[in-house]
Amino acid sequence: MTTREYPTGPAAAALIAVGVGLVALAISHLLAELATPLKEAIHAIGKAWMPGAAGIGPYAGKETIALVAWLGTWLILHLLWKRRAISVTTGAIVCLVLLGVATTLLWPPVTEHLVELVR
Amino acid sequence: MSLKPGPDVDAREVQWSLLLVIALLGVLGVIITWFTAPLERLLGESAYALEAAIHGVLAGVLMVAVTIGLFQAARLFSGHPPGIRELQVGSAVTAMLTLLTIIAGNRIYIPYRASGGPRTYFLEHAPEVHKIFFEFKEFMALFALPLAVCAAYLLWRYGEAAMQRRDLRTTIAALLLLLWFYFLVAFGLGAAITKLKPV
Repeated sequence: MTTREYPTGPAAAALIAVGVGLVALAISHLLAELATPLKEAIHAIGKAWMPGAAGIGPYAGKETIALVAWLGTWLILHLLWKRRAISVTTGAIVCLVLLGVATTLLWPPVTEHLVELVR
Repeated sequence: MSLKPGPDVDAREVQWSLLLVIALLGVLGVIITWFTAPLERLLGESAYALEAAIHGVLAGVLMVAVTIGLFQAARLFSGHPPGIRELQVGSAVTAMLTLLTIIAGNRIYIPYRASGGPRTYFLEHAPEVHKIFFEFKEFMALFALPLAVCAAYLLWRYGEAAMQRRDLRTTIAALLLLLWFYFLVAFGLGAAITKLKPV
């Protein structure tokens, strides 16, 4: 079995989707911190389907947004690239960069600083 | 007399014997713990003691799984990967454990946020503990799921071919390394919170 039989497009799609999902998580957290109506809207997204979401608060909505962004991006990119040869290294680098961005945005001092800047 | 198993020893038989010994030792450990520390003392007196214990046990088992993944990552980096079956099964188990730990974490988040719970206590006495220890930990824990699923997906989709390509091998190793790192952060901060104020 060789990767010629299995093009590398799906690998790149899976990798990039990880980064997109986690950046979506960070952005949803920033939005929730920015304004109460946004926080309530994000909470409502979680409450729409997740058991116990009322007790978890907006975290349920942030999880939902990240899940949809991750799996949605994966599905779309997979369908686009399933027969294509996309560089795995490029996919991995994009994933790493997005992972770094998401981690930085979620670090509480950075989140607070950004929220204060936008307000 | 040679200590090495002779050619007549069936490797599968050795494997099953080892599994049996491990299972017996596990049962023995549970029995000793059960008799020396009553269950209610082990779990604690909280109404959510069982949920907390399930989350803690899952996280503990996952810590072992991601550490095994870390050793596998080192072997992948070095170009001497373990067998593909070992990697595939390990990654699938880790991904499943990650999902279950997050679900159990969601359950235990409810009493944490409840009025009079640890969140209220931290916000009143040490808000930075909630912000940094808890919120950051909860997000870092979520990072583990897509990383674990992605590593498992690459291993199952490409199989042996992934071991022959350096880019795929290195990428899978990086995913396993990052998975270990993010879970370690979540695990460490989670343990610290539990020590400060359990649910």
